[in-house]
Amino acid sequence: MLKVNKLNAYYGESHILKDVSVAVDQGQVVLMMGPNGHGKSTLLKSICGLVEKVGGEISYSGEDIIGSAADKIVNLGITYIAENRELFPYMTVKENLKLGAYSKNARANEKKNMEWVASLFPKLIERQKQLACTMSGGEAKMLAIARGLMSDADLLCIDEPALGLQPSYRLDVLEIIKEISKQGKTVFLVEQNIPQLTEMADKIYIMEEGSISFEGSKDDALNNEDLKEIFLGL
Amino acid sequence: MVFEIIDVIISGLINGSVYALMAVGLTLVYGVTKAFNFAYGSFYNMGGYFAWMLLIPVGLIGGYFSVFFVAIPVFFVVGYLLEKILISPLRKHDDWEMKVMMLTLGLSLFMDFGYQAVFGPRIKSLPGMIEGTLELGQVVLFHQDIVIFILSVGGMICFGWLLNNTRTGMAVQAVAQNPAGAKIVGIPKDFIFAATFAISTIMVGLGGILLSQKTFIDPMGSTNIMIKAWVITAFGGMGSISGSLYAAFILGMLEAFVGWHFGMIYVQIATLTLLLVTLTIRPRGLMGRE
Repeated sequence: MLKVNKLNAYYGESHILKDVSVAVDQGQVVLMMGPNGHGKSTLLKSICGLVEKVGGEISYSGEDIIGSAADKIVNLGITYIAENRELFPYMTVKENLKLGAYSKNARANEKKNMEWVASLFPKLIERQKQLACTMSGGEAKMLAIARGLMSDADLLCIDEPALGLQPSYRLDVLEIIKEISKQGKTVFLVEQNIPQLTEMADKIYIMEEGSISFEGSKDDALNNEDLKEIFLGL
Repeated sequence: MVFEIIDVIISGLINGSVYALMAVGLTLVYGVTKAFNFAYGSFYNMGGYFAWMLLIPVGLIGGYFSVFFVAIPVFFVVGYLLEKILISPLRKHDDWEMKVMMLTLGLSLFMDFGYQAVFGPRIKSLPGMIEGTLELGQVVLFHQDIVIFILSVGGMICFGWLLNNTRTGMAVQAVAQNPAGAKIVGIPKDFIFAATFAISTIMVGLGGILLSQKTFIDPMGSTNIMIKAWVITAFGGMGSISGSLYAAFILGMLEAFVGWHFGMIYVQIATLTLLLVTLTIRPRGLMGRE
């Protein structure tokens, strides 16, 4: 479904991603781990057209998408859910959700997705008239995920959904990711605060200093003594 | 005395309504693109000359009704194309906000000298939209003023409705509030920038058509309008639409009272004093966001 081949990405003069190759198949949950500041988010952003200077190959369902504008990529069915949420602060929950369905494809399924989101996030719908800037960190994070789901994307690139959240919210995040996956959606996730996620991942990557240092199944990862200690926290 | 004050208030309200229409357009472009359009005053004159051309040499059937009908799409296209051709390429460079200001300043001078070359250096006057007066006891209202007020307020209500009830309007607000978030949900920023510029061109162009009937069309008059629109947006808070609305009526009123009590020569001094005091105490203006 998604193939990234020898991707290089830069912020100004700094070379962030160095020949990164990853593959995500339809319906999988793929987990990207590794130390902070080593390029995990940059990889997700590059896939979603949010990094200006990129080189290499990114193909999605056979279509070459590297360097495409972000709005074209959203239209193809890929969405980015940001670690720092990137909500519209002076708009209500409902308006944020509606803007999540801005792209052409999402528009057609807006009603259906709104019902789905309402069933996943009943608390958000109770507060649909509240301004995004008045929400707590955890609630805002849920809204960011919900807005991402409104895009009707088949591939969700989710960046550290549980970072900075209380344990109860982390379990909510886990449940939501299970539910998204159950709907047949593909999830490419940067996250290392939820050990249970490692259990459900179809594939695990580890990125260090802008390169992939490990690629394998969860069993490979769990059998690797170094990884266990350093990253998986088990 | 009392009736004179009522006259002054009415005059303040009418000017305030047209200023509001224009300032909201200017602050909207700033809010969305974070770049200031210094050619704004020249677009105001474009409105005046456009109406003059259609009404006097062309003699368009239907008078002002037809003028508005033609002007709105024409102003939209002019604004859209100017943004695409002149401003959009600048955004590829660093520090483009500054470059946009330089370019629009140049565009403003180009347009002003262009008006002089095409229409001559002398001022022109527009015929009134409607004749007659409405007498309420001792207070006399010109029909023209009533129509100008209704059209300005109506224009703003339409604009507010479009901004809050259409997908493009919501996208405009989204880009203003969080450009990165707007990109994530797939809003095409280039289109929104051009559309915003085009909408603001309509607003100031209509302001030009409405207010030039009461004053004159002066080929070099754009600076005055630019100062007014800029003072209102800075006083109200750059990028804040509600701030601009309040500021426009406050300054419209101030202008009417100062003009009546002290003389027109003190009007700009009074408004600029208010601006400087406000910005010293509260740099973000009345309702600007930090």
